[in-house]
Amino acid sequence: MTAMIEARGLKKYYGSTHAVDGVSFTIAAGRIVGLIGPNGAGKTTVLKAILGLTRFDGELKVLGLSPDTDRDELMKEVCFIADVAVLPKWLRVSQALGFLERVHPRFDLSRAREFLSRTDIRLQSRVRELSKGMVTQLHLALILAIDARLLVLDEPTLGLDLLFRRKFYDTLVNDYFDKDRTILVTTHQVEEIEHLLTDVIFINRGAVLLDSSVEDLAARYTQLIVTAEQAAALRALKPFYEHPVFGRIALFFEGRSAAELTAAAGTGVELRTPSVADLFVAKMQGAAA
Amino acid sequence: MTTADTNLSAREDPAAQTASASLAARQTTPAQLLVALVRREFWEHRALWMAPLLIAALLVICAFPAHLDFVPEEARDALADRMNQRAMFQLLQWGLTVPQYLVMLIVLNFYLLDCLYAERKDRSILFWKSLPISDGATVVSKLLVALVVVPVGVYLLAALTDLLFTAIWLGRAAMGSLPSWVSGMWGTMAWIKVEILMLMGLLTSILWYAPFAAYLLLVSAWARRNVFLWALLPPVFAILIERLAFGTHHVLALIHYRSWGIWEALHLQDAMTHAVIGSGDDRIVSLSGVFDTLDLRDIITNTDLWLGVLVAVGLTFAAARIRRYRDDT
Repeated sequence: MTAMIEARGLKKYYGSTHAVDGVSFTIAAGRIVGLIGPNGAGKTTVLKAILGLTRFDGELKVLGLSPDTDRDELMKEVCFIADVAVLPKWLRVSQALGFLERVHPRFDLSRAREFLSRTDIRLQSRVRELSKGMVTQLHLALILAIDARLLVLDEPTLGLDLLFRRKFYDTLVNDYFDKDRTILVTTHQVEEIEHLLTDVIFINRGAVLLDSSVEDLAARYTQLIVTAEQAAALRALKPFYEHPVFGRIALFFEGRSAAELTAAAGTGVELRTPSVADLFVAKMQGAAA
Repeated sequence: MTTADTNLSAREDPAAQTASASLAARQTTPAQLLVALVRREFWEHRALWMAPLLIAALLVICAFPAHLDFVPEEARDALADRMNQRAMFQLLQWGLTVPQYLVMLIVLNFYLLDCLYAERKDRSILFWKSLPISDGATVVSKLLVALVVVPVGVYLLAALTDLLFTAIWLGRAAMGSLPSWVSGMWGTMAWIKVEILMLMGLLTSILWYAPFAAYLLLVSAWARRNVFLWALLPPVFAILIERLAFGTHHVLALIHYRSWGIWEALHLQDAMTHAVIGSGDDRIVSLSGVFDTLDLRDIITNTDLWLGVLVAVGLTFAAARIRRYRDDT
C-alpha cells in the first residue's frame, strides 16, 4: 500500500485565523476519500495545499513529491476540478480537446470524444453557450480522459440538479476509478456520495475530527434508536451524541461492542452502523457540545 | 520554431512507440507547448488578430475612393519628376503603417494588462493550473504574443496592405481616375528599402519596449482589481513624490527616455527621412544606402537597450513567481 498523500502537521494561518491547524492524514492508492466538513472548516485550504496552489507550513508529500517545489512535475499525474464554473467562457469544445491533446502528455483524445458523444454537447459550442450541467459534463469528460493517478474534486457538483449529480458520480466510479487511482472529493451533499466512498476524513475548524475507512466505521460506531427509559440506561455507556427521532431517541456510540449495548438497553433494540451523513452531524454536534 | 518543433517530435516518436501502450505518455516539447499556448491567446483575445485585420481591410478599401485633388497646381509640376514620385510613394508606404501600428499598440496594452488578470477574474486560472503547464511557460507565451507574434504579424500585414493599396492605385491611374504621375510611383528597390528600415525599427522597438510590456504583465499578474489604475499609479506617484520631496524630475526623465530615447540614439528619424527624400537617384535605388545613417551596430552596442531587456527578464520572472501562488481569490 503506497501513500498517495501524506500530510504531517499541515498548517495554514491567515493572520490570526487558523484555517488549517496541524492536520495529519495519509491517503493510500486505490481509495475514494471524502473530505467532509462544514463551510470554513479548512477543506479547500487542505486541497489547495495538496495541489500546490497555496503556501503552507508542515510536511506534505503528494505522490512522493512536494506540491510546493515540484508542482510542475506533480501536475503531470494529478488532476483536479476546483469548481463547476472554471472553464473559460470563450473556449470552444473543439479547442479544449485540441489544446489538451497538445499540452497534456496523458490526455486521451478518443476517450474524451467518447465521453462527449454520450452528451448533447456539440464540438463547435463555446462554454458560454452550454448549460451549467453541460459545462460540468464537459469538464468531467476532459479530466477523465487524463490518465492521472490522483484526482481531486472540490465541490464538483455544486448548483447542479440531481440527475446531473447522479450521472457525474456514476461516470466517475464506473468509467474512471480503478485500483491504481485515488480520488479525493469534498462535497456538501454527503448522502449522495457516501455509498462510493472507501474512506472519510471529517475536518472541522482546521483540525481532523475523524479519519477512517468506511469498513472500520461499522466496527467503531453504533447508532441505536431507543425509548426514553432505555436511553437513560444507555447513557452510562457515554454516547457522544443523541437527538430525538419521532418521540424516540437516537444515540451514537464509539468503541462499544454490540454485546455491551444490548446488555444495557435490553432486548428489542436495533443496532446499526450510522450513515456517514448521520455520523458527520453527530460528530460535529458532539464536538460543539 | 516550426523546424525545431518537427525535428524534436521526429526524434522522440520512436521512443513513444516503444513505451507501454497504457502509459504511453507523449512528450510535449517546450516549443510545442509554447505554440499551443500562443494559439490559445488568439482564441481568448480575439482583438489581437481582428483589430489589425479590420484596419488593414479599411485601409485597402480607402484606396478606391481616395483622390489626389488636394495636391496644389504648383506641386503637380514637381510630381512629373520621377524622384519626387518615388518620395511620394515611400511617404505613402510609411504613412499607411501608422494607423496599423497605432491600433496594435492600443490592443497590445489592453492585452498585456488583461491577460493574467482575466484568468483570475473568470476563475479559469483554476482550470489552466490543473494542467501540466508551468507558470513560466504561461507568462512567456503571453510576452511572446505581445512582443513577437503580433508585431511581426502586423508588420507582414502592413506590407501586404501597402502592396494592395498600391496595386489599386496603379490600376486606377491606368484607368485615368488618378493623375498619370501615380503610375510612375512604384519602385521595387525603394519599396524593399523602406520595408527593411521599418523591420529594423520594429526589432529595435521590440527590444527597447520589452520592459514596458513586462511591467504591464507584472501588474496584470499582481493586481486584484483595477489593473489600469495599478499600472498608472506607481509611475504617477513616483513622479509626484519626487517632485514634492526633492523638486527634481528624474523619474519623468527616465520614463521619457525609455519612451523615445532609442529613436534619438539611433537617428532613426533621420534614416527614415533620408530613405524617403533621398539625395540623388542612386541613393534611392541602392539597397546599401539604407545603412548609411542607421547601422545595426548602433542597436547591438546600445547598453541602455540591453539593460532594458535585462529589466524585462527580471519583471517577467517576477510575474511568473506571482502567478505561482495566485488563484481566483
